[in-house]
Amino acid sequence: MFEFLFKYPLSIYRQGTFIFLAGWPLWLMGLGVLAAAGVLGFLIWRQSSGSARMGVVRRTSVWVLQTALAALLLFLLWHPALSVSTLKPQQNIVAVVVDDSTSMTTNDENSTRKEAAEKVLNGGLLKALQEKFQVRLYKMSDHAERIDKLDQLTANATATHIGDTLKQVAADASSLPIGAMILLSDGADNTGGVDLETLSEIRRQRIPVHTIGLGRETMSHDIEISNVDVASRALPESRLGATVSFHQHGYTGQKAKITLKEGSKIVASQDVTLKAEGTEQVETVLFNAGDAGVKTLEAAIEPFLNEENVRNNRVTRLVNVDSRKPRLLYLEGEPRWEFKFLKRAVEDDKTLDVASILRTAPNKLYRQGVCRPGDTAHPQVNGKCTEMEDGFPSKVEDLFAFDGIIFGSVDAPYLTKNQQDMVKQFVDRRGGGVLFLGGKDSLADGGWAKSVDADILPTVLPDRKNTYSFVGADVELTPAGQDSLITRIEEDPAKNIERWKKLPYIRTFQDPGEPKLGAVVLANFIPKEGGGVKRPLLVTMNYGRGRTAIFATGGSWRWQMLQPLADMSHEMFYRQLLRWVVGDTPRHITGSTPKSLLADESHVKLRAEVRDKTYLPASDAVVEAHITGEGGQQETVNMTPEPLEQGVYGADWTTPQAGSYIVEVVAKRGTEEIGRDTFTFRREDGIAENFHVEQNRDLLQKLSAETGGSYYKPADAQKLGKDINYSQAGITVRETRDLWDMPAIFLLFLGIRAAEWLLRRRWGVI
Amino acid sequence: MRLRAAVFFILGGLLTWGILYAQKPFIDYPSTEEHAEAALPPDWERDAEWTRGRLKYTSSTFEHPYPNNTGRYGWRTDYPLGDRHTLQGLMRLTRVDAKSVEQVVELDNSSDIYNWPFVYGVEVGHWSLNDEEADQMRDYLLRGGFFMTDDFHGTQEWDVFMEGMRKVFPRRPVVDIDNKDEIFHVIYDIDQRSRIPGAQFIYSGIPWEFDGFEPKFRAIYDDKGRIMVGICHNVDMGDAIEWSDDPRYPENYASLAYRVSANYVMYDLTH
Repeated sequence: MFEFLFKYPLSIYRQGTFIFLAGWPLWLMGLGVLAAAGVLGFLIWRQSSGSARMGVVRRTSVWVLQTALAALLLFLLWHPALSVSTLKPQQNIVAVVVDDSTSMTTNDENSTRKEAAEKVLNGGLLKALQEKFQVRLYKMSDHAERIDKLDQLTANATATHIGDTLKQVAADASSLPIGAMILLSDGADNTGGVDLETLSEIRRQRIPVHTIGLGRETMSHDIEISNVDVASRALPESRLGATVSFHQHGYTGQKAKITLKEGSKIVASQDVTLKAEGTEQVETVLFNAGDAGVKTLEAAIEPFLNEENVRNNRVTRLVNVDSRKPRLLYLEGEPRWEFKFLKRAVEDDKTLDVASILRTAPNKLYRQGVCRPGDTAHPQVNGKCTEMEDGFPSKVEDLFAFDGIIFGSVDAPYLTKNQQDMVKQFVDRRGGGVLFLGGKDSLADGGWAKSVDADILPTVLPDRKNTYSFVGADVELTPAGQDSLITRIEEDPAKNIERWKKLPYIRTFQDPGEPKLGAVVLANFIPKEGGGVKRPLLVTMNYGRGRTAIFATGGSWRWQMLQPLADMSHEMFYRQLLRWVVGDTPRHITGSTPKSLLADESHVKLRAEVRDKTYLPASDAVVEAHITGEGGQQETVNMTPEPLEQGVYGADWTTPQAGSYIVEVVAKRGTEEIGRDTFTFRREDGIAENFHVEQNRDLLQKLSAETGGSYYKPADAQKLGKDINYSQAGITVRETRDLWDMPAIFLLFLGIRAAEWLLRRRWGVI
Repeated sequence: MRLRAAVFFILGGLLTWGILYAQKPFIDYPSTEEHAEAALPPDWERDAEWTRGRLKYTSSTFEHPYPNNTGRYGWRTDYPLGDRHTLQGLMRLTRVDAKSVEQVVELDNSSDIYNWPFVYGVEVGHWSLNDEEADQMRDYLLRGGFFMTDDFHGTQEWDVFMEGMRKVFPRRPVVDIDNKDEIFHVIYDIDQRSRIPGAQFIYSGIPWEFDGFEPKFRAIYDDKGRIMVGICHNVDMGDAIEWSDDPRYPENYASLAYRVSANYVMYDLTH
């Protein structure tokens, strides 16, 4: 329609420059319009002065229309035209890039995308191009490759990197007169799109990229897993959540089953009801991490019988289940049942090791869980354990040997200023977790608000005492708590909410104050007396490299005593809470990679964060990564300091083949070993093309628009043979295109005259 | 009329549930012994982290040697002065935030006893547990409750006590507590199993009762090696503490009773 009204395609208008060919000055046109307006006004006023039917409004309307007509005639007299740059015939090269990835084998309405591309090119486009230009054919995968004929297309490439391919073709243009590129693709790029650098490179060379979009924009019957988010590290036997994001077409309201498998063993499954068409749906499936070791987890949605693409129903992730046993220090200021039952709740947890110091009498401490077997740092002297015999550690190394701390009913002044500062650094620098429990000497009543550790608390404590109450209180999960793994004591989320509502009331509660910005309230308590105003019970927050939590009660022991013996809710809650406290506490060296799964990629970045004995960044370490492949092949890579991050070392490595890799990162200072850490990653080939198989029209349109090209559907692609002439790249000539004879001007002329005639007819003054 | 009946039914149900589910209020029972009478302390209403439960049980038909004192009120022996002295001592010697009055609890099939994870039972050589009570005692102990017994002596009372305990734990052994067990060291190192005679020692000078010549500190352990039932046989810590402010009662026995009591409480709170 545009081309019919305005004679040329929109792309020419975008590319060309508007000019007047008459050569007369523009001010003269303006003067002519003014003069015409004056003369017409005078004539209309004089002719209509005696007519009662031609009032001021009507006369003005006629004057406006006639002046517009005069202006239009003057505009045409000045000879409007477009100056466009066109490719010189036979002197330019047009690059035709055809997607050759496996997604091109997708069957869309009786033909594959590869067949559709061939049909477009063989249907006259290629011939039309060859008549005017030299045509270079490329097939696209993760790079561009020259081909001579279309039958060299195989559609079996395992990846599509549009940006890299175009960059490579554009690089050819630096020595060749490439006038335009034509990209035939479904836009299913595996790298997430075309980066700005590539776009600006193509724009700099002024090469228009015309795109021909292949394939359906939405599948009619398909479920696709778009992401699976699961912790890459976990403690043995810990409960983990795999957050599965997916969308579907054609199955709204139907039931589907998500399964998590480790090898052939199903570790968890969950039935879900599919939401609206195209909506991103997120479901969390809980599973047990199991024993220590590397777990390859496959998240899958069971395919429907008529599903068009079942290869995008499964995604693999790696979880490294650590063999370490994080250690917590529990300092309790008074003997009380919360102390007893907390320790009982976690004693069977093989992943947690709790050492405790209890103030039994004014000058007596009772230590438990100290001097473990094999503890060389605290040898027994005459059969007596010396670890923490003087109470809470006063040396950084001793405190930082723990992964987490629990403060029971203990007042802040019991710790020295130095110890209080160490606790803050324990969270901030060490990256440990601290849990504050409610109690008569806890939180505000224990003077913590005035200590340096007030900073690490997830709430602003009340500025008063007597915040601890022996009135019972019911407990209720917040929306955040309903999603949290800490508070998941039932697998099913709905049942979990109800389960919390039915828990026995807590014996005591403490007002923890107001949550700080960034803190998350997972549960509230509702006092059984005094109006029942909800207050935060369980609040968590990240601080520095670590994390802190408040559990504002000393009376959750009722969950154990007031429920049937077989009920495990008290145990599960405390185990999950304490695992959260210590689960992410780093050691002296932490190795990682940005992606634990390389999907059709071979390049991997290795990273190691190294801290010394007091957890200060160690920038003078020698760090090596020992990589072991599936077949047992080994390689050692030296890691070098990252210039902008203290204590961080990095390395780039290329995987020789698909499979799992174990990396052990070792950091040394001289001959002294600072620490070592192990992590894993996996390379899988031939999977990236299984996803995002719908045509990514947005990407193709954006690519065309940004480079001065146009997007075409296959049915319109033959127009390209004409449109492609207009380009600023390659060898071009400037041409002018007349605009005076375009139909839109003729229609405008007729319209103005018709409007005046219709108005006059209505007024009866013809 | 039907609506009113329904409302009454619902309210009655809620009240019953509340009574069963919530903890019962404090009741100051009259003492059955003149010496054991005690006024309520001024702070008796103060809430605290820890409360000592005193087990109210049904006495057996076994003839009691002092029927005028206790009889069918055997559970009230030394009550309440013995309890309140114990609590004062505990607060003075330890950092336990104890309530100044005891809480009388029963194995009455309600949930009340579960609110008091430490229960003290006296004169259990005269108790009588039916099957339901034994079932609840077992459940209470396995959930994490602790039962300390005291002031029963000799073979005959032991047999009566064990008749009840066998209903609670038919197969769990009753063992003598080893000297190394933490219950004798958690606060105070109590290396000798000394006698702690009852108040009759003041008049008779005999430190034992019946054929209970040797003090016995026995226990029933749970599957994790923790004491659930601390059985103090042939000793009378209740009397020792109750009479601790009487100059006629030997101080060394009273002090030992306080220390043993504190250790038992502290053991429970740490294991």
